[in-house]
Amino acid sequence: MATSAYWRTRFQRYRLIGNRCKECGKVFFPPRFVCPACGSVKLEEYKLPERGKLVEYTVVYTAPKGYEVMTPYVIGIVELEDGVRVLAQITDVDVEDVKEGMEVEASIRRLPEQLEGGMICYTYKFRPVIK
Amino acid sequence: MTCIAMREVAVVAVGYTRVSEHWDKSIKGLFIEASLKALSSAGLSLKDVDGIYVANAFAGYLQRQTNLASIIAEALGLTDTFAVSIDAGGASGGLAVHEAYRDVAHGIRDVVLVCGVEKMSEATSSDVLTAQASVEDQEYFRYTGATLHSLAALIYKTYMKRYGVKQEDVALMSILDHEHASTCQHAQYPFKITLDSIMKSPVLSDPVRVLEVVSPSDGAAAVVLCPHEKAKELGAPHVKIAASQLVRDSFNIVERGDVLAMEALVKAASRAYKEAGVTPSDIDFAEVYDDYSVMGVIAMEKLGFCREGEGVKVLKEGEAKLDGRIPINTFGGLKARGAPIGAVGVYQAVEAYLQLTGEAGANQVKDAEVGLTHGSCCFNSIAVVNIFRRCC
Ligand SMILES: [Zn+2]
Repeated sequence: MATSAYWRTRFQRYRLIGNRCKECGKVFFPPRFVCPACGSVKLEEYKLPERGKLVEYTVVYTAPKGYEVMTPYVIGIVELEDGVRVLAQITDVDVEDVKEGMEVEASIRRLPEQLEGGMICYTYKFRPVIK
Repeated sequence: MTCIAMREVAVVAVGYTRVSEHWDKSIKGLFIEASLKALSSAGLSLKDVDGIYVANAFAGYLQRQTNLASIIAEALGLTDTFAVSIDAGGASGGLAVHEAYRDVAHGIRDVVLVCGVEKMSEATSSDVLTAQASVEDQEYFRYTGATLHSLAALIYKTYMKRYGVKQEDVALMSILDHEHASTCQHAQYPFKITLDSIMKSPVLSDPVRVLEVVSPSDGAAAVVLCPHEKAKELGAPHVKIAASQLVRDSFNIVERGDVLAMEALVKAASRAYKEAGVTPSDIDFAEVYDDYSVMGVIAMEKLGFCREGEGVKVLKEGEAKLDGRIPINTFGGLKARGAPIGAVGVYQAVEAYLQLTGEAGANQVKDAEVGLTHGSCCFNSIAVVNIFRRCC
């Protein structure tokens, strides 16, 4: 990924910022330019909740380039408290202990790939809620 | 919407290479081999071609070769001939056929060469995985660490839970493909496999196993389209194109609401049936896009060959075999014929031609009159359904 592309997407990756259609209220993550539901281009920033539950997951054993060192890792669909669903990695938990329906929360984690000049990249991952 | 008179369109010739690891052949070499075979089989030559569609998904990534249509047209010596590349992942081939069909139907061009080509064997497996994942929206997908295997796994688990079926049921799709490929001359894997070997193959992304997934491969397939009247003049065996429909959906399966909905495929199928004036029960065989076993099972359901959740029943009861109620993937499908991704839709068109002209040899479906092909990119975020009909 180019440094500028990484920089452009920083709010969605660091703070789970999506957007919401001002006309029909539909929420999007990642943010969109046009609302596919009503066609409106009037969209406003929307901060997603950081908690939710794991709807479905899979353990990845074969990774794309740059991610091989992380295997096995968990990719899941997280349904946040407002009903929005995001695709994310599940972290801080042994793959055998991951359960469907598990309560999870967002955290910032390092990505295995680095940008030019050794710039380190971060993104959201979800971890089990610590009770 | 369409009110101008359309011409009837025929597929008048086919040519193809075996799906394999062609170390000795370049993209250009594969393309030219398939295309020249097709043209000569109908007594045509390169100078008769007035349009070329090149279907390819990964040359830009794997070979660092963009501008493929012009590169190939020049290699064919056709520097001033219309030539365009179609890049739509696994829907590329079906979409290229769609574009050529429209050109001929609307009288824009008379003899159109469609050739799908892909060369994946010379890349590392992590490069292939990254290339395959590059059909998704990179600004979102890239930093999740997700692969297409992991998305297929999420669909697979949801499917098994909703319909109470086991992996051993869904995996029958791969067994079917290999059974049909075992007598197919152009298949990459012309042999049968057992349930035991599938269940013992490594897990890529739980529950998806190696023997339920396509492998990287090379190959090229070509079809020549022309007006039906011209096909009759040429006197070569030919089939008619009865319908061609393309529908799109959200790329992000998580955003779709129900990951099993596959709305684009449902719509493309219903529009294609309407265009051809047929119902699912009129289809004599279908080539479905099963890049993953579960996607083949779901495709049979969405195409209307059985009810939702009953795809595995079709497999268990042998209805998808060559002599069954609805033969599926008659030459081995993506799993066993092989899946040079951008070329798959053209291989499917070739196979529909072979069935409907009675040239399918050991894989012949008896009295086949109407055949369907299904192409897909990113779990039917693009779905193409083409219907072919026997004629003369
Ligand atoms: Zn809206």
